[in-house]
Amino acid sequence: MNTKINTDYWDQRRGKITSSKGGWKIGQGVFNHGYSMMDDFVGKTSYMQVVMLNATGRLPERNLADWMEAFFICLSWPDPRIWCNQIGALNGETHTSATAATSAGLLAMDSRAYGARTLIDGVNVIQKALEQSKQGVLVEEIVKSAGQLVGAKPTITGYARPIAKGDERVGAMEKVTEQLSFDIGEHLKLAYEIENYLSKNFNESMNINGYVSAFLSDQGFTAEEVYRMNATLVASGVTACYVDTREKVPNSFLPLRCDDIVYEGKSVRVVPEKC
Amino acid sequence: MNSPKPSSLVSKRDDVYAQRTATRIWQELPAEDNAYITAQSRCHGYDLMALMQKRSFVDVLYLLFRGELPGPEEAALFEALMLGFINPGPRHPATRAAMNAGIGKTDPSLILPIALTTLSGKHNAAGSLEEGMRFLRKQQHKPVQETALQLLVELERPAEGDCHIAPGFGSVYNGIDLMSKQIAEHLVQMPGAGSALKWGQGFAQALTEKGMGWLATGVVAAVLTDLGFQPRTAAGIYQIISAPGLFAHGVEMANKPMTAMPFIADEDYSIEYEN
Repeated sequence: MNTKINTDYWDQRRGKITSSKGGWKIGQGVFNHGYSMMDDFVGKTSYMQVVMLNATGRLPERNLADWMEAFFICLSWPDPRIWCNQIGALNGETHTSATAATSAGLLAMDSRAYGARTLIDGVNVIQKALEQSKQGVLVEEIVKSAGQLVGAKPTITGYARPIAKGDERVGAMEKVTEQLSFDIGEHLKLAYEIENYLSKNFNESMNINGYVSAFLSDQGFTAEEVYRMNATLVASGVTACYVDTREKVPNSFLPLRCDDIVYEGKSVRVVPEKC
Repeated sequence: MNSPKPSSLVSKRDDVYAQRTATRIWQELPAEDNAYITAQSRCHGYDLMALMQKRSFVDVLYLLFRGELPGPEEAALFEALMLGFINPGPRHPATRAAMNAGIGKTDPSLILPIALTTLSGKHNAAGSLEEGMRFLRKQQHKPVQETALQLLVELERPAEGDCHIAPGFGSVYNGIDLMSKQIAEHLVQMPGAGSALKWGQGFAQALTEKGMGWLATGVVAAVLTDLGFQPRTAAGIYQIISAPGLFAHGVEMANKPMTAMPFIADEDYSIEYEN
């Protein structure tokens, strides 16, 4: 005899939505984490405060949202040589919509090498480093345990960067931190100690990931929260690069001749008949 | 005077970048009078026009990724796999995303990218394929019962929802995925079936008593393992296989009124916000 499998969990949820976030109650208002969006947010909070609330469930103070907005500016370069931005530019070549172009660039940022996803690693590195430091582990040992050796140099997320040495965005954000009256917390203090060690021994410095990961750790965010808040981090730079090529003649962005692609595969051969 | 911070000293690295992009897959030979126009295309050495005359789409899809044309048994297995999983079905989240895009009057050219993005996830979706292939590659040389016993002993069933004992294996709605089971049973009897598919079939049978078995992602991972695809290609191949069904469902909705799909009523939409 067949026994009916218990599907109560799914049966109870058919045709219903239970939101832990909020929603639109038609005729009553739009609610978000207990706030009325039209009464409590519009005209009263910044957009970035709402972005951070939606990502973390916590409404930050205005100055923290302003700090985050400044960070978004740091990652909004209109330079199409950057990988995600080049995807925006190539979308301009094929005349996609601006939304499609920007979304494609954002997907590209979901990368192990750059963009918001690397902040997960950055936050985990500095939070683990602080735990080690509190247990008495020296900076030199923290560096050894946090990174891999590439040649003689340790590679740690948050320090050094591709293409250039140094990072002009760190200094810009340090000014913002000061202007908005934030203190240097224990994660950021340790991040500077790591930077000093790497600078003296390997001529490498902290990058924007390292600075932001340490600062936001001091503000009490987890790695996943930092990633979620930054889900659209590079959007504006991608849009700019899309617009640049969209307004030019198609096929004029880095045009390639056939021999600009090097073929390294099999030599010409005859197609065998299908057996 | 304070010395400048290490991060503020920005200079170019001496990384050497390629002057031209290289590929082993495709060769475009230029027209005599225009270096930008392709006069002949070759895939892994085979002339594209000859491939069109002599081989099937599935053969050339295999060729693109594997570098060689498939033998008859491999081609038959690959085609059967593609047919078996041509459509995740109208209840899969990726298909529902396609349908939402269609009914919402999203530009039809964006229906497929939207659905494939949803299909990129790690739960019952393409994002779990790489891990699934690595699991099968590692386990296929061990006795099935040994792995099954070990994983069942270590298993911690979640309090709610389904249980995935290994990548590509588990329960769906508290039961066994009967379609994936039938498709696997068909594939495993084909001459091209290899050790991963056969091992997976044994593993799925060992899980039957616990209400678990093959998941769609597991079957695809097993066949791709047997066909020699690299794990990193697996997510994309799964997306290619599923694309026809996803797009068909999405575009089916594009000509229907917005009322042709449910819009959850206010009384079935509850907000349970916990501060």
